[in-house]
Amino acid sequence: MRRTFQYLFFFAVTAFLAVFLLLPVWTVIETGSKPGLIAEIFRNRIYVEGLLNSFAVAVVTTSGVFVISLVLALIYDRFDFPGKELCNVLMLVPMILPPFVGALGFQQLLGHYGVLNTLLDALGFARIDFLGGQGKFWSVCAIEMLHLYPIFYLNLVTALGNIDPALDESAANLGAGRLRRFFLIRLPLMRPGILAGGSIVLVWSFTELGTPLMLGYTRVTPVQILNGLTELESNPLPYTLVLIMLAVSCLMYLVSRMVFGGHAATSAKGSMGSSAKKLRSWKRFAAIGAFLAVTCAAATPHVMLVLCAFSRRFYNTLLPRGFTLDYFDSALSTALVLPSIMNSLRYSVLAMVIASAAGILIALASCRWRLKGAVAADLLAMLPLAVPGVVIAFGFLSMSVKYAWAHAFFNPVENPLWLLATAYAVRRIPYVVRAVTSGLEQTPEELENAARNFGAGPLRVLAKVTLPLIAANILVGGLFAFSFSMLEVSDSLILAQKARFYPITRALYELSQILGSGPGIACAFGVWAMFFLAATLAAAGIMLGRKIGSIFKF
Amino acid sequence: MAEVRIRGIVKSYTSGVPVLKGVDLDIRPGELFFLLGPSGCGKSTLLRILAGLVKPDGGSISFDGTDIGSLPPEKRHAAMVFQNYALWPHMDVFENVAFGLKTSGVRGRELKEKVMEALELVRLADFARRRVPALSGGQQQRVALARALAVQPALLLLDEPLSNLDARLRDAMRSEIRRICSLRNLTALYVTHDRQEALSMADRIGVMHGGLIREMGDPEELYNFPRSRFCAQFLGDVNIIDGSVRDGSLMTPFGTFKLNGKAGPGCVAGIRPERIRIVEPGRPGSFEAVLEERVFSGDTCDWTFRVGEQRLFVRESAPESRRIGATYHLAFEPDFLLALTDADGE
Repeated sequence: MRRTFQYLFFFAVTAFLAVFLLLPVWTVIETGSKPGLIAEIFRNRIYVEGLLNSFAVAVVTTSGVFVISLVLALIYDRFDFPGKELCNVLMLVPMILPPFVGALGFQQLLGHYGVLNTLLDALGFARIDFLGGQGKFWSVCAIEMLHLYPIFYLNLVTALGNIDPALDESAANLGAGRLRRFFLIRLPLMRPGILAGGSIVLVWSFTELGTPLMLGYTRVTPVQILNGLTELESNPLPYTLVLIMLAVSCLMYLVSRMVFGGHAATSAKGSMGSSAKKLRSWKRFAAIGAFLAVTCAAATPHVMLVLCAFSRRFYNTLLPRGFTLDYFDSALSTALVLPSIMNSLRYSVLAMVIASAAGILIALASCRWRLKGAVAADLLAMLPLAVPGVVIAFGFLSMSVKYAWAHAFFNPVENPLWLLATAYAVRRIPYVVRAVTSGLEQTPEELENAARNFGAGPLRVLAKVTLPLIAANILVGGLFAFSFSMLEVSDSLILAQKARFYPITRALYELSQILGSGPGIACAFGVWAMFFLAATLAAAGIMLGRKIGSIFKF
Repeated sequence: MAEVRIRGIVKSYTSGVPVLKGVDLDIRPGELFFLLGPSGCGKSTLLRILAGLVKPDGGSISFDGTDIGSLPPEKRHAAMVFQNYALWPHMDVFENVAFGLKTSGVRGRELKEKVMEALELVRLADFARRRVPALSGGQQQRVALARALAVQPALLLLDEPLSNLDARLRDAMRSEIRRICSLRNLTALYVTHDRQEALSMADRIGVMHGGLIREMGDPEELYNFPRSRFCAQFLGDVNIIDGSVRDGSLMTPFGTFKLNGKAGPGCVAGIRPERIRIVEPGRPGSFEAVLEERVFSGDTCDWTFRVGEQRLFVRESAPESRRIGATYHLAFEPDFLLALTDADGE
C-alpha cells in the first residue's frame, strides 16, 4: 500500500475520532464552561453532595477492588494448585452482567423482604435497611466492586506475568525477606498494571450511571445529569455537571499516573519460566477457597437474577416458592422486548463494524505503518476509557441540538440508529485497538518483511500474512465491541428516547420500573443478556488466554 | 545468478549515529560472499538494504548493471533467509515454500513441482504438509532455505541463518548450504559474526567494522595475510608482538626479523599461535621462553609462554606433556610474521 493511501486511511479514521469523540466532548465543554454556571454548581449543595458522593463511591470501590484483586493475583502468580486455570476463568464471572442488571439481583438479596433480611428475621435479629439511607451508598460500592474487580485483577496478573522471576530471586539471594521483596521489588514492578487497572476502575465507578439509578441512589452526579436531561433546553447546568465530571476524571487519572506511573519498569520474563510454587495439603484448598469465595460473592446477583427470573414467588423467603417460565413467556409477548433485541443487534453490529475498522486502522498506523501522528491517534483512541460514557452520550446529544448536520443525521427522536451505533463504537474502539495492537506486537514484523521479500505487495502482505496472523485478536476486539455494545447503559439511557428505538438495556430499565411483574420480566430478560455476554467472554478467554488482560489497558 | 554492485551506501538511524559509512562491494555471479563482522558493525543493515527492507540514505545498488535502488522489496528478486527464519506459522511447509511462487503467478502442477523440488533439495520432501511450529530448529531453517531457493532468486541473502542451531546441526547445515549454492550456481550474500562459518564456507569474505568493509579476500588470503590488527584478531587468535618496526625490520626482545617490505609506518607485528613451534635447544633463530599456562581443547592445546615482558601463545596439535615453569625454546618462520596496521578498524 502506498504511503499516500496509508495516510488517507489514517486521516479518515482520525477525522472520525475528531468528529465523534472530540467534538462531542468539546460541545459539552463549550456549553458548560461558563464561569457563572460552574459557580452555580458549587453553590448548590445538592450538586456538591452528588460530586462528593460519586467521588466517595469511586474511592471506596477502587480501594476494595484493589485489595480483592491484589490478593487473588498474587495467589495466581505465586502458587500452583489444582484448578488454577479454572479459578482464573471464574474471575471473569462478574463481567457477564452489567452492574446495572446485577442491581436487580441485589435488590432481591438485600431488600427489606429480601433473602438476607429474611434470614436475619428467622434468626431473631432485626431487619436492616441495606437499600435505604447510607445503606444505598455501601450497596452501590459493593455492587460495583463485585463487578469491576476482574478488570483490576486481569491487569495485575498480566503485570505480574511480565516480571522476571530472577528479579525476585536475586533480591532473596541478597537477603531480602518476603515482605521486603514484595514492597521493594514486586509492587514497584506491578505499577503499570496498578495504573492501568486502577484508572479504569476509578473513572468507571466515578461515572457509573446504571447501578445508583437502579438502587435509587440519586445523589450522585451521573444520575443528576440524567435527571437534568428533561429540562435541558431551559437549564444548561447538566452540561456543566458533565464538564466537571470530565475534569475530575482527568484529574483522577493524572494523580494515579503521578503516583503509579513514572518509570514503569516491567521487564521481559527470563527463560526460567514460571516460578510458581506448588501448594500442598490445606494450603491449596485455601488458595482455591479464596477464589471461590470472591467468585461466589460476585455471582450472588447473577444467581438472584436467575432465581427471580424463574420464581413464581420470591418474597420474604430464603428460596423461591415455586418455579415458572411465565416471565420468559411474558418477556417475549411484551411490546418492548423483541424490538429492543432487534434494535440492540442492529446498533451493536454496526458499532462492531465501525469500531473494528477504526481500531484496526489505528493499530496498523501506529504498529506497522508508523505514520506521523499515529501515536497521538492511538492515545486519542484510548480516550474513551478515560472519558465517562455519560460525557460522550451527553456530548452526542448536545451535538445533535447544536449542529444542523448532526441533527439531520443523528436525530435521537427520529431514528437513533447511527447515533447509537457511532456512540457505542467510539466507546468500544479502545478494546479493538488494544486487542489488535497486542496481536501486532506479538507478531514478528519479520514475517511481513519475509512476505514482501518473496514478492508480495503491501496489500497482499496485509491480506495473506498480517490479518490472518492477528485474526484471533481482531475477532476478540470485535466480540468485545459487540457484546459490550449490546449491554451498554449510559448511551442507551440518554440517547434512546422513543420506546420503539429502545435497546435492551433501556428496555430492561423501563421494565424494572413497572410495578407487578415488571421486575420479573426484567430479570428474565437480564438472564438472557447474562448468558449472551458469558458466551462472548468465554470465547475471548479461550482465544487470548492470559493476555485477555491486555484488552482492559490504557 | 546476478552480478551485484554496491556503491557508496550510507545509512544513519534516527539517533544520528552512522551505521554504514559508504560501503562499496562487488559480488561476482555465482559467488558465495560472506560479510563477517562483530555485532553492530552494519552487516545486517547492508543486507536489509539489499533486500529493500531498509532504505539507505545514499549510494546505489545494481543487479547485472540494472539499478534496483528504487525498487520495492517485492520487485528485487533478492530472496532472504531470515535469522529467525520468519516462517509463517499459519501456513504449512508447502504453503510457506509456495508463497513466493504464487506471488509471481506460478500455479497448478508447475507450482507443486517447483515446491517439491526445493523441498527435495533441502531433504524435506516428506514434510510438505507439516505445520511449521511442529518442526525442529534445523528443519525450520531448511524450510526457510527452500522457500528462498524455490523462487530462483537473482541474489540469495542469508542473515546469520545458523545462529539459532546447536553446534552439530550448524556444522551439518554449513556443508548443506555450500552444496546447494554450488549446485544452483547461486549468487549469495551471507552475513555472520562466526569466523569459522565464514572461513569454511565462503568463496570470498568481506570483514566489516564500524560501518565499512575493512578488508576483502578469499578465506586463506585473509586469514594468512590480514592487513589490519582488527582483521587479524577477528579472523583468529594472533600474538601481537612488542617491538618496533624500523627500516623494514622488526626489533623484539627475542631478536630482529626482516618483514620483507610489508611494514609501513604505524605497523605492529603479529604471528598466529599455530605458526610458532616448540623446538629443540640450539636451533638457529630459536629463543628461550618460560611455560606459564596450558589450555587443553581436545584436538589442540594452547600454551602460554613468557619471553621477558612478552607473552606468546603457541598452539599445538598432538601436544606433548610439558612442565609449567620450565624453559623451552620457540621458533617461527619470519615469513609468517604479519605486519599489521595498528588501527582497530575505525
